[in-house]
Amino acid sequence: MAPELQSAGYRAVEVLAGKLRRRQVVGSREAALETVLVLRQVVSRAQFSNITQLVAIIRDVGRRLSEAQPKEHTVGNIVRKVLHNIREEYNTATQGTALGTSSVRNVYSISKFVLQGQPRKHHVAPKSEATASLKENDPNDPDSFARGIKPVLMEAIQDVLDELETVYDNVSKNARDHIHSDEIILTIGHSKTVEAFLKAAAHNRNFTVIVAETGPSYSGHEMARSLSAAGISTFLVPDSSIFAIMSRVNKVLLGAHAILANGGMFAICGSLLAASAARAHSTPVVVCAGQFKLTPLWNLYHEYGALDFADPSSVLGFEEGDLVDKVDVVNPYYDYVGPELVDVLITNDGDHPPSSVYRLIKESYDDEDHEF
Amino acid sequence: MPPKSSSSKEKDLADDDEVLQAVILADSFNKRFRPLTVGKPRCLLPICNATLLDWTFESLALAGVQEIFVICRSFADQVKAAIKDSKWSKPSSGLKIVPIVTAKETFSPGDAMRDIYTHGIITSDFVLVTGDLVSNVRIDEVVREHKARRRANKDTIMTMVVKESGARHRTRSRGDSGVFVLDSQTSECLHYEPVTGYPPTTVANIPREILAEHPEVELRNDLIDCSIDVCSVEVPSLFQDNFDYADIRRDFVYGVLTSDLLMKNIYCYVLKEGYAARVADTRSYDAVSKDILSRWTFPLVPDNNHPGGHAYEHLRGNKYIAKDNSVVLSRTCKIGSNTLIGAHTTIGPDASVHASVLGERCTVGARAVLRNAYVFDGAHIGAGAVVESAIVGAGARIGDGARVERGCLVGDGVVLGPGARLRKFARVSRRREKAGAIADGEDADDEEDSEVEEVEAHQDARALAPLIGEGSNAVVWPARYPHDEDEEEDGVESYSNQRLMRIGDNASDLELSDPGSVTESESDSGSESDASSLRLSRTSSQTSAPTPSAASLHTLQQSASLAEFDAEAAASLERAFAEGHKVDDAAVELKTLRMAANVPLRRVREAVVTALVERVRIVDGAGAQRKEIADLVARWGALIDRIGGIDPVETVEILQYHCAQSARLPLFGQLLAALYQADLVEEDDIRAWHAQPVAKGAHLKPGPLKEGVEKCWAVGRVMIAQFDEQETDSEESEEGSGEEGEDED
Repeated sequence: MAPELQSAGYRAVEVLAGKLRRRQVVGSREAALETVLVLRQVVSRAQFSNITQLVAIIRDVGRRLSEAQPKEHTVGNIVRKVLHNIREEYNTATQGTALGTSSVRNVYSISKFVLQGQPRKHHVAPKSEATASLKENDPNDPDSFARGIKPVLMEAIQDVLDELETVYDNVSKNARDHIHSDEIILTIGHSKTVEAFLKAAAHNRNFTVIVAETGPSYSGHEMARSLSAAGISTFLVPDSSIFAIMSRVNKVLLGAHAILANGGMFAICGSLLAASAARAHSTPVVVCAGQFKLTPLWNLYHEYGALDFADPSSVLGFEEGDLVDKVDVVNPYYDYVGPELVDVLITNDGDHPPSSVYRLIKESYDDEDHEF
Repeated sequence: MPPKSSSSKEKDLADDDEVLQAVILADSFNKRFRPLTVGKPRCLLPICNATLLDWTFESLALAGVQEIFVICRSFADQVKAAIKDSKWSKPSSGLKIVPIVTAKETFSPGDAMRDIYTHGIITSDFVLVTGDLVSNVRIDEVVREHKARRRANKDTIMTMVVKESGARHRTRSRGDSGVFVLDSQTSECLHYEPVTGYPPTTVANIPREILAEHPEVELRNDLIDCSIDVCSVEVPSLFQDNFDYADIRRDFVYGVLTSDLLMKNIYCYVLKEGYAARVADTRSYDAVSKDILSRWTFPLVPDNNHPGGHAYEHLRGNKYIAKDNSVVLSRTCKIGSNTLIGAHTTIGPDASVHASVLGERCTVGARAVLRNAYVFDGAHIGAGAVVESAIVGAGARIGDGARVERGCLVGDGVVLGPGARLRKFARVSRRREKAGAIADGEDADDEEDSEVEEVEAHQDARALAPLIGEGSNAVVWPARYPHDEDEEEDGVESYSNQRLMRIGDNASDLELSDPGSVTESESDSGSESDASSLRLSRTSSQTSAPTPSAASLHTLQQSASLAEFDAEAAASLERAFAEGHKVDDAAVELKTLRMAANVPLRRVREAVVTALVERVRIVDGAGAQRKEIADLVARWGALIDRIGGIDPVETVEILQYHCAQSARLPLFGQLLAALYQADLVEEDDIRAWHAQPVAKGAHLKPGPLKEGVEKCWAVGRVMIAQFDEQETDSEESEEGSGEEGEDED
């Protein structure tokens, strides 16, 4: 890889890696946004003379960022998505040479199959500026390829960014179809997606939300405050009463931190409790999440550390001097909720059962990018 | 195109907010980790497999510090090399690290601060930390708060970061801590009282004024002092001005807060969340390691953002195993909770590792038992060996079946033979080879060298053989240095107090075993001094305090300082007279002396009058003598009123008492007259003095003093009688009085 790349754009990569490592950037959407911005910077400054070099550069960035913080899965997802889009744009631009695989794959999409019934042939209109003269590895002018393709690439990255920025709107687009009048919805934690979803539904429907406090972070408090400020009838209940109250609940609405390829997901601690209680009462569990949370990993839940254990101070105060020595406190931040506990995923691109997540992942990312 | 835009952007940033500077005192200025620190500085000791310096850098980077000065003294080359090789010196880290080597004569943090002052590197408010800090605190918040306070009040010079904990928290130092007196509203630190664990500090003295000025104060003995100080630029210069400040807390904070002259304010920042502690001794090494392993330092934990850059996998029960699949754990070994195992380490069958930290490339033999053990890189623990609450240095080899008991420190590269039996709290280091010793000598301190040599000289090979086993290269250090005992009996570094800072030492026998301990406080000392310091009632200050011995000590000290003042003042006046200083200069000098010794004004007046009286040259003839006195009073008399207060009655009284005691009694009349003549004493003053019972000497026992006093009083009476006959011309009256005085004798 070219050494000069170490400088300019890479400074931004290091800064973001540092922030991720030090947990100064937290939250799946936040991390995803920062990653796109960095990638845009890297691509706009990158020097390459063929597509392989560019892919290598981006993969390198992806490796650094995801190594810095393996718990923020969206970082890797965004890099994979960008790689996927870049390859697609490249194939479109250079037409004929690699028409086969990628465009055909695009056609057989389950989400589109469900929505549109029949797979149709897509005709991607060739982008005018890209077709001009794309010549890889031009010995006379090594930058010509980069110059030619960069505008298209920037557009591809902009697409990812737009998707991220509109994710809440797109998820809550169909909210009124999922929430009916006079329903009682239980939710947990303070997921921005769920919040937007409920607020969107409140435009058309009149329903009640029960928010669990969600210790030890007590982010449920904020959620309840925000929802009742929006005029939704809201109850705040302690986590311990989730099971007791479940018999009255019509629907459980959860946010996700990451959705795994098997349809299971990582969500804020307490979600497993709510989902299990819902299963016991046969209450449907609905998960709201953007597609950037789809993560091409299958067996992450085997890893104990994947639950992301935070410091014990919110559970047991540091000032309890005597106890600190004698008690081991574990304070996991996430729960793993298996696919059997989830009924439907509402994403910014349609609704899907957990069993079809693997297919969505196949569509969104290229297989060779699963490991950077 | 890209570099241009980025550089201009950076410039903008730099202009916008000034660079946050930090100073790391990388030297510990004490020897608590010996013999682990024989060959390297303390800040390069690993804790959880990353050096203390790395943890400190990471703590500062987390807080957004951009420029770091590392003050190093011993093994400066090693520190510099470590900084150079680390990831921190890469441009991508965003840190600018400047190592500064101070002179070998830097013996305390205070000396280091003076060195910082002379280097002139500090341009704005800076963060002062020690090189053994582990913290996840957002120090930039503290800095912001500090700056806001400073805008309001220029005299705010420092903000100390303290962490709330229980009085008995494992991370809180038992041997060396402090009582903070805070204003509840502003969290201004009003007073600081250092506390030692042994002898137990039972009483904290709080100046009465604090309670008068602040409606609500908090007395806190449950704070961990994190040694993170946000300091203003003038702090180094204060150290420069007060050359005797050594410790930052005991001397500087205490000194600034108790000083009447400096009028500076110090604030505390009580951390509610976040973690910060320093590894000041082996006990806190143990505690901080445990805190890291049980994730109190999150997000600074082995599996996330490890400062050494290693990757660990976090397993149930806070076990951390290096991630690269290089660790070999035998099928039958037992790994307990709160354990960290570094890369390429091998653990044999049936070995048990519990609450321990193993470095990289260690080997643990079959059936070995490690409990609360800290084993540095490359060490070898033989089969069946037992290591308990001990630290084993890098590359050490513990022979098969050896026992390393509670509290042992095994230095780098020590080889203990099979079956060695180290006693509890034994400290062993490697015997140096003769040839190597000379080469090393250049690097190491002379002082340190001599100490190691001394230890080596005192080895009794036969007695030690069963302790260190066969084929060992170990030298056993004495439990305490004989010459230290009398020097530092009650200081922080005293042996008994140090025991409270040792790994694995619960010190439960301390109060019982020591015959010299003070009886009364014994019941308290077990439960830490917090109970006893809270015994102070709000209204009482120094009056509530002391045991008889302390009281007598106090008066003793005071009388010593008074005597010192007398001598100093006499010398100062002597010099002034001899060298013909200005009256003003002499007065300033006296004022300074008074402040320094904290003596009452009367004492100064006494000193001046005494000096004047003794200065009078005795000459023959009444007239000549009178002239001599008048000259002297004309030249120096003004000094009496320049010392900070005017009280002629007292002056006369002092004059009287001094003359009564000295051989110059006959001069009293003439002196008094001269003072009157020079307008230093008015007629009314003399009358007032004369009317006082003290002037008559009524309270005195019969003796030469009383006689003298009475004689003087008689002179005064004559003088007043003359005032009464005011009609007579004043000159004559004085002459009369003067002659009267002579006649009286």
